[in-house]
Order: sequence, then structure tokens, then C-alpha cells
Amino acid sequence: MGEISMGKFDVINSRAVRVDASDKVRGRALYVDDMKMAGMLYGALLQSPLAHAEILNIDTTAAQRLPGVKSIITHKDAGLVKFGVSPARYDETIFCHDKVRHVGDNIAAVAATDLDTALRAVSLIKVDYRELPAVFTVEEAMAEGAPVLHAAFPRNITAEVQDEFGDVEAAFKQCDLIKTTSLVNKRQDAAFIEPQGCIASYDFSGNLTLYSSTQSPHYIQRVVSMVLGIPMGKVRVVKPYVGGGFGPKAATNHMELAACLLSMKTGKPVKMNFDRQQVFMHGRSRHQFFHHMTTGVKKDGTIMALKHDCYLNGGAYASFGIATVYYAGSLLGGPYKLPAMKYHGYRVYTNLPACGAQRGHGGVIARGCWEQQLDMIAQELGIDPIEMRLRNMMSAGDVTCNYLDMSSLGMKECVEAVRDRSGWKEKKGNLPPGKGIGMSCGFFVSGAGYPIYRSDTFHGTVIIKLTEDGGTALVYTASAEIGQGSDTTFAMIAAEAMGIPLECVRLESGDTDFGVDLGAYSSRQTLMTGLATKEAGEDIKRQVLEVLSEELHVPVEDMDIKKGFIVFKGEKPDITALRTRYIKEHRGWSDNPAMDEELSFREASRMAFLSRGSIVGKGKYKPPILGGQHKGAAVGTSPAYGCSAQVVELSVDEGTGKINIEKMTDAHDCGLAINRTSVEGQMYGSLSMGLGEALFEEVKFDDKGRVINDDLAEYKITRALDMPAIEPIIVESNEPNGPFGAKEVGEGAIMPAIPAILNAVADAIGVRIFELPLKPERVYMAIKEYKMKKEKEKGIEGKTLAGSSQKQA
Amino acid sequence: MKKLIRVTVNDMEYEVAVKPNQTLVDMLRYDLGLTGTKNGCGEGDCGACTVILDGTPVSSCLVLAVQADGRAITTIEGVEGKDGLHPLQKAFIEKGAVQCGFCTPGMVLSAKSLLDENPGPSEEEIREGISGNLCRCTGYLQIIDAVKSVSK
Amino acid sequence: MSLPEFDFHAPGTVEEACRMVAGFGAKAKIFAGGTDLMLDMRRNRISPEHVISIPGIEELKTLEIASGMLTIGACVTVARVVKSKEIAAKWGALCAGAKALGSCLVRNLATIGGNVVSARPAADIPPSLMAYGASLVLKKTSGERVVSINDFFTGTGSTAMGPDEILTRILVPEPPPHSGAGYVNLGIRNACDINILNVSSYIALDGPGGAIKDARIVMGCVAPTHVRVNSAEKLLIGEKPTDALFQRAGEAALNAATPRGSAYSRASAEYKKDMVKELTVRTLAMAYREAMGR
Ligand code: FES
Ligand code: FES
Repeated sequence: MGEISMGKFDVINSRAVRVDASDKVRGRALYVDDMKMAGMLYGALLQSPLAHAEILNIDTTAAQRLPGVKSIITHKDAGLVKFGVSPARYDETIFCHDKVRHVGDNIAAVAATDLDTALRAVSLIKVDYRELPAVFTVEEAMAEGAPVLHAAFPRNITAEVQDEFGDVEAAFKQCDLIKTTSLVNKRQDAAFIEPQGCIASYDFSGNLTLYSSTQSPHYIQRVVSMVLGIPMGKVRVVKPYVGGGFGPKAATNHMELAACLLSMKTGKPVKMNFDRQQVFMHGRSRHQFFHHMTTGVKKDGTIMALKHDCYLNGGAYASFGIATVYYAGSLLGGPYKLPAMKYHGYRVYTNLPACGAQRGHGGVIARGCWEQQLDMIAQELGIDPIEMRLRNMMSAGDVTCNYLDMSSLGMKECVEAVRDRSGWKEKKGNLPPGKGIGMSCGFFVSGAGYPIYRSDTFHGTVIIKLTEDGGTALVYTASAEIGQGSDTTFAMIAAEAMGIPLECVRLESGDTDFGVDLGAYSSRQTLMTGLATKEAGEDIKRQVLEVLSEELHVPVEDMDIKKGFIVFKGEKPDITALRTRYIKEHRGWSDNPAMDEELSFREASRMAFLSRGSIVGKGKYKPPILGGQHKGAAVGTSPAYGCSAQVVELSVDEGTGKINIEKMTDAHDCGLAINRTSVEGQMYGSLSMGLGEALFEEVKFDDKGRVINDDLAEYKITRALDMPAIEPIIVESNEPNGPFGAKEVGEGAIMPAIPAILNAVADAIGVRIFELPLKPERVYMAIKEYKMKKEKEKGIEGKTLAGSSQKQA
Repeated sequence: MKKLIRVTVNDMEYEVAVKPNQTLVDMLRYDLGLTGTKNGCGEGDCGACTVILDGTPVSSCLVLAVQADGRAITTIEGVEGKDGLHPLQKAFIEKGAVQCGFCTPGMVLSAKSLLDENPGPSEEEIREGISGNLCRCTGYLQIIDAVKSVSK
Repeated sequence: MSLPEFDFHAPGTVEEACRMVAGFGAKAKIFAGGTDLMLDMRRNRISPEHVISIPGIEELKTLEIASGMLTIGACVTVARVVKSKEIAAKWGALCAGAKALGSCLVRNLATIGGNVVSARPAADIPPSLMAYGASLVLKKTSGERVVSINDFFTGTGSTAMGPDEILTRILVPEPPPHSGAGYVNLGIRNACDINILNVSSYIALDGPGGAIKDARIVMGCVAPTHVRVNSAEKLLIGEKPTDALFQRAGEAALNAATPRGSAYSRASAEYKKDMVKELTVRTLAMAYREAMGR
């Protein structure tokens, strides 16, 4: 563990400079709105102002007449092919035809010569509505006789999950302490800084190219093909640089489909963008969760069983919601030994923008609820919370009651690291009032066993092609660089696998023409695309060495490629003939090798080209069959699990309730770290998002279902001034199922942030809070109530003593 | 009606015909093709559109293009000097201060004007100096580190 | 969303601006820093036919201290006030308010005048100006008048300024010896935040260690406008400053506050009232500390 692996590798497991950073610091990196095409039109969407209403009529005549308007489309043009995220719940159409289900639901789109005209045309479309009663809360939506959003889903239940592993009731009977608590969060917004945007371009040979700010070119390609009825081979989705995703950009949005259709109708490229308000109206970020948990433990802190109920306010469409409601239960299987677990979850439709996936998909609030509860249990049992966690910790080789296989798990190392580095032992219990320290663990998947549509497809394919001069390896992957650094990671993996320096690798990604890749979600890419990349790199190396073997009559096994040079394990063969040939090929070149230099990869791969033509290496990955036969087993089982631990130190201003986070000590087991700088970047970013969710963030609605705070002033994300000092600790287990031992960090790192803050706040003020965010008012009121309660208790005692004297006075 | 304005951007003089209701960020991006300036919110909340206007960093989505008439602007495209990258740009690359990169141009410009005015800022001053620039990816610490590394 | 269409005017002098304002009347909006106006236009809350841009008018950018008076031109940016050492030394509460306003990017555009004229109860500049007893110079084609900032705000977004008038200068008297002031705003985040509440307090002592002879307490976000807390001020005057006295003043402020808490406002009425007390006590303590040192 730790840094023992350092030095074993030439490229990976280092601190590499990102391959895209040079362009990004110059403002040269192209995002979709930076692109422009000849004859390009601009599109705009007409979105519903009402939360629930029947559409009686759509009149586009006035809009049609506006000069500059090129096309107006409604459901009549778009058809009613249903799509969504999970085929089991395809419940959306490009445009609404019978009714709208949330403010922002899509009704029509316009393409015009410029954006102002498109927007003006949208405002001229007249829609007659008949308003329907709307439901905004879980209670309203599930109430008897409540209006139903989708006829096929009575009581507005998108999905209901019931699972039991082990015998929970029997386990409770053996427990010394049974504790029940709850936690509710508020709907989040992923608040990536680049709003969604796209350009669709349909050519006259019937090919459609869609440039989009997306996390998954592949999923978009499939949905576009399915909904618009174009063969997949004629749909190409290209992802330029993307300004952050965090979940919501993993699914196809209506704007992408509308832009495609508008381009098909007009024969011109069509650009469309969300403005910030539309980002909020489209939603698809973290759900609001209502968790209710009961945990039973033995006196010594041994966790015996967990009973867990959860309701998710999901908004108007399913989006990722089915996966979300499963994850909310299944991710509590680890990292503690838990013999029995029972889960009952509901994902509920309401007349609000749909919720979907966001960093830490489904698991973040569940983790918050449970880790706070475990802290309370430890407190009641008089056990140090870290000690209690260590006593229950799983280790590599363990399998959870819900079949999650801990192929590697540096959990104990993470906990010990944050304990020791934060000075926990000295601080815990010894801080002055108003100051607190708290900890939590976290746990997350490295990708899922299946694509979001059930299929045996490969999750990632990678092609590497050597340039004919032999000097450069071109890596083609359809994976999605959205800021997390995956391009650099895969370039590093490719270089390592081929045995060449990073500078010799050129990587192109995010294009469905390059292959299949499910994209950036579920923390899957490092492991899955990484393995495919590694395989492709090894394939290249093998082919080059094969040719060399033929030329030099040295067995392939006796050679290797390292740092761009051929390594001969045995005696060095005579390379004179080969080198002479190479130099002859490059007459006039000034960088030809001298006769006494080592044989380079460049020379070898040039020979390979001369002998075999294009040298192309192929790699692919799909997970093996993972554990569990129960319904929903695919949500939670993963080829590998990342884990994390965190200690938070903070102070609370008791006069105002304001929390100041002072320090976070965070350890994450990402398996082998490919690029340490990027791993730490993911840790910092996760913590800053977790901090925002814990303290500030909530999407608020008025009683008509409109977002009140649909801007980045009133939707408050963490700013530079809010960030505490962070000590990041990378723990490296060796993941047998990952490339070179690597696994996830992008999402798991957010897991412990919220509960560690909850636990530290309780440590500071002596009272627990079961609702997020911990804004000053909530904290202040909790303190106030607590003080009043304490005074009352004292008062009752006091009264019995002082009663008579009061009478006399 | 469009109005002809004269503006100096990155030491180049431009004459641009702009509509009165056009914002400076739109003019830079769509009329001059300087797409390094980003639009993240259009409402002055994110700082992605930061440019340096007559020596002061501002959100260019809150400025009308006509108001730039006769003034001098530095965008991210103008930060790189004759001798290559500005030390801040180098530091951003080295310290891992760039992830998705969408906030990066604005961050660099805010940090640059901070250092131009105060070459040796404290950590608090650095945080204050980039407080108008939102970054959802990095958690800011590597950015702060980068700025620190080039301050005197 | 894009901006509505309008005609743009950039008058070179105050006189010219006054003529325009008088001519266009309600069809025009003044663009000072633009930080509020641009949002209101983008969100379609207003769509003026004319936008009169005034930050280019030199006269409106004077910032000077002369014979006991700080004069701030309406178009002086908030950032300039933050940076002024003189203001920090003598009008610390004003400086604190300026520092609390938005992020540094916003402060570079936002003007002191704009923050006053937009008359929002969450604004950071008015409380301390009221505490320092500032007055405003309003100008129109026929001449100018000076009004006390105490009489300026008539409601959220509305002021005593006529449709043909322009705010040109803000006059802030230098606080007398043995006086001090404090400003505290409360937001959700550490800084750059929109206020849940703000309070500014000012006291002047009758010599070092003497009784309070003058007091002004101003609170924001508890009523449609920033309001003075007369009951608390009365209670302070003539008394020796003590923690207990400040507590009582805070209590009085709490009782005087009438916040409208709703699901949509940034905080409940109960919390706001408690915070009025807390911030009153804190700002009085700040004011007292300053008064003792000067
Ligand atoms: S785009 Fe200008 S501040 Fe966000
Ligand atoms: S790097 Fe993505 S927003 Fe800053």
C-alpha cells in the first residue's frame, strides 16, 4: 500500500501534466458554443410555463410569418417515439403532445437565421392550455386520488424496490441497541459552469453529425438513432471539450433531438444552447431523498442489520431514477460488514423538472443518513466513532450481503490515515464548545455491470494506430473527457502499455466514430476504458515485437519496449542492417539515430509498417458476470469499489448558526493512481461539491412549480472563500480487475463529505440535525431548540425546589 | 440600429458595428471570434466571461458592447506574451488548476489583474481576488496554489 | 435569454443626462454599474425603451474628503470605496458594507449610487450611509436638492427621487471624535453573498468613557426598506455603554423588526428577528470599540 508501487512504472503512477491544459489556459480549447459553421441557423425551444396542463392547441402561424424563421417543429413533426434513460421507463417524447408535466417541459422548437429571431418566434407561438392540478411533493403525489402524471404509473410511482438480504428481523432480536433516524436533503443542481449546448448538422447524403456538450456520445447516438429513425451508422455524435457534467449531461436532452430534427428539416447546421435558467428547468441532477433507517448493533458496536426506507421526489420523468432508487439502497452494502439489510424504496413522479444522476449517484444522502446514525450509535455505546468503524470494516476478499465483491478495499488504511493525519485522537472530545470534529467513510462503484440499456455490448472499445513514420501512436476512444482528466489518463495508460513516452501518444476521444464507449458516468472510465486502452496498447506492442522478431530473429518473449526503446533481455542482436535501412528511408532527416544508439520504438514500428501496413491495436472491455440474481442486482454490483474516509474540523458561530469548515482530511483508495494530480483534483472537486450540498445548495420552487433560484447567485455553490484547507491522502490498493490496479475516484470521493460535516456539527453544538442543507438558520434553530429544551428540563427541576419561595414573592 | 464602436482588444484596434442591446461577451465571442471568453450564466454570477477592461477585471456579460467604445480590453487570448505563456498560465498547467477548463480563462484573468495590482497577495487576498469566478470542478485549491506559486 | 431592444445614450455631462431623463421619463432607465439593470432586463422584469449610460460622466466619479465631508460621486465603483484607505480609517462601516457587496468582479462594476437608488432591502451600502447620517444630492434640469438618506427610501425599489432626477453625489459627514460604527451582514456563504439580513450601528460618546449622546441603528431585510430602530436608539442615548445595554438595544430592535418570512424569502421571520438582535448587539460592540479608540 501507500507508495510502494512508485517506480514500477515509466508513465503512470506519476504527476503528469494534462494533455489538454495548454489549450485550456490559452482559451484555445473549443467548447460547443465556440464552434460556428457556414450557413448555421440558431434554434430555440418553447417550454411550458405551467407545471401540469393539457395542451389544447398549438398555433404557430404568427411565428411562421416572422422573417428569418426557417423551421418550426412540434410533436406533429417530431412524432411520438418514446425515449428516456432506461428502456424499462421510456417516458419522454421530444415534444409534449397531450399535456405538459413540468414548468420547462418542451412544446416546440424554432430554427432561424439568428438567435433573437428564433426567440421572438418562440414568443409568438400560441399554446392553449387547460391547467391540471399538480403535485409537487412525495405526499401529494402518492395521495389517494392524486392527479397522475403518467397513466401507466398509478400513484405516480416510477419504480418501487423491495430487497432483503439476510434476515433483518431475526438479526434485530440479537441486538443490544436499535436506533432509528432519518435524513432529508434538498434537490440539487449539478451547476456545471458550461450550460448544455449542441450543433446538429445533417448532410444531403443522409448523415447526421451532432456536436454536443455531453458525457456520453454513445447514449446520445443510440437515442437519436432510435427516436429519429436514422441507422446508427449514419449518426455520429462528437463531443468537443465539455465544461463539466457531474451527471445530468449523461442522458440525451430534448434540445439535442430538436436540433437534429431542425437540421434535417432545413438542411442547415443548427446550433442550440440552454441558458442558465433552462439548465435549472431541465434539471436531471440529484433527487430529493427522504431516508429512514433503523440499525441494530451489539454492545461492542458490531453492526447486525439495517432496515431502510426511502422516498425520492423524482420530478416529471424517470430519467436515471430507477438506477437512483436502487443505488440508494444497494450502496450501503459496503464498506462495513453487514449481515442483513432490508430496503424499501420508492421513486415518485411529481410535476417538477426531472431529477437524474449526480456525482455519487443515489448514494450520497443515504451515506449521509447512515454515517450520522452510526456516529450516534457509537456515542451511545461509548465507543470512539473511528474505532467502531474499524471494528466493522470489510477488507479485500469480503462479499457483502447484497453480493458486492470487495476485490480490493483499502478502507482500513483510509480510516487510519485520516485519523492519524488529522490528529483525531488529540482533538476528539477535547475541543472547546462551538468547535467540532467529525468523520465518515465512503464507498462507490467503478462502473456498472451493464449499460443503462440491458445488452451484452462491450462497454468500451479502443483502437490505437501507429503513424506510418512510427513515431506516434494515435489512440481513438469514444470515451468522454468532461474535465475529469480522462484523456490524459488514457494517453498515460496507452503509453505505459506500449512502453513509449507520453509525448509519443496522441489521443482523440469523444467521437462515436472511434468506437463504443458508454461515457463518463458511474465512475467507470478509468477502469473500463482504461482496460480497453491497455489491451490495445499491448496489442500494438505485440505486433511491433513480432515484426522485429522476424527481422532480428530474436524471440518475442526476449524483447520488450520501455521508454521508447527496445529492450533485449538476452544478448543484443546486430541491428546494423535494420538501422541502415531506416536511415536510408529518412535521407535528409536531421534526427536519424547514430549507429551506436539503442534501437528505438520509432525504428521498430516503422519496420512494422513496412512489413505489415497499418499497425492497429485493438482493445475492448466488458465486465464479467457480476454477483446477485435478484431484481436490480445490476445496480450496485461493479467490477471494483473505491472507498474513502474523511475527517472534518469546523466551528459554528452559535449566535448566527453559521458554520465555518476549517479543515478536511480526506483519504481515498483509488487503486493504483494513474495520475496523482488528477486523483487529487477529483478529491478536491468532490469535497467542494459535498461542502456545497451540505451547507448551501437547494433548488427552491414556488407553489406553481417554478424554480425560484434559477441562477448562480441564489443557487449557492462553493466559492473560493468557502473552501477550507484540505489534506488529500491517496491510498493505493491493488485492484485486480482494474488497469494496472486502478479504480474509481471521481464520485466516491464525495461520499464522506456530507456525513463528516453532519457529525462534526453535532460534535460542535451537541445536537443532531436531520435536514440539509445546514444553512445558518437551520443550525441556529437547532441550537435554540436544544437550549430551550435543556432550560425547560432544568426549569422543571428548579420549579419543584423553588416553587414555595416564588409564591411568597 | 447598430452603432459603430472602436475598441482595442489585446492591443489590436477593431471597429465593430454593434446593436445597443448586445453584451460585450457576445461581441467578443461572436463578432471578433475571441471565444476564449466564456459565457456561463450571462448574469454576472459565474465570472466565466471575465475580461480586463481598462485595467479592471469585469464580467463582460454585464457590460454593453457599446460601452466598450474607446476602451481597451484584454481577453485570455491576449495574456500570452511574446516570450510565450504568462507565468500564471504555466502555473495553472503545472499545479493541476485546470479540469474542464471552462472557468480557466476567467480565472487566469482575475488572477492576472490581482497580481498586476498586488504582486505579493496573501492567501486570503488570492481567494478574494478569484471570489467572483466560480469553478465547479477543482475546488479551487490547486488554482490558489498556482497563483501563490507565481506571486512574489 | 437576450436583452430587450432599446436605444442607447451616453451623455457626456450631468446636465445632458438630466435633460434626457426629463425627456424620456419612465421610458428610460439609468445604467450606472449595470449589475442590477442588466439582470432585470435579461429576466424581462423591465424593458426600457432608452438606456442612459452614466458611468462615463467624469463629474459623477469624484471621491473626495474635504472640510469634514466625504463626497462620493454616484458612479464611484464599490471597488474604489473598498480600496480607499481614508474611507476605511474614518468610515469603517461603509467600507465593510462595500466589501460585503458581491464578488470583486461585481464590485468593479457596481456603483455606490446604483446600490442606493435600486433601494433593495438587502443592499449593503445604504445601512452604513444611514448610520453615518449621509445625505444625497439629487439633480434635475431646474436645479438640485439635498435630501437626507433617512427620507429617501419609500419602498422596495422605490425612492423619493423624481422621474426627472439623477442622484449625483452622496455626502457623508465625518464622524465626530469618540464615535464609531459597525456593519455586519449575514449571508449563507462566507462572502459574496446576498444578505439574509444586515445591520449597521453608530454611536457617539460624550467624551472618552462617557455616556452615549447620539445613536443610529439601521436594519435591512426586515421591512420593505432599510429602517432605523428609533426605540433602540432612544434607549441608548444618555446611557453608559455596557454589554447589558447593548443587549437591551438588541431586544428593542428585535421587537421593532417586522420581517415577512415566507417559504420564498431567504429566511423565516423568527430567525430574522433573532438575528436583528444578534447583529445589533455585535455592531454596537464594534461601534463602541471604535469609539473608544478615537
Ligand atoms: S457569464 Fe458573465 S458572469 Fe457568468
Ligand atoms: S475547471 Fe471546470 S469549472 Fe473550473
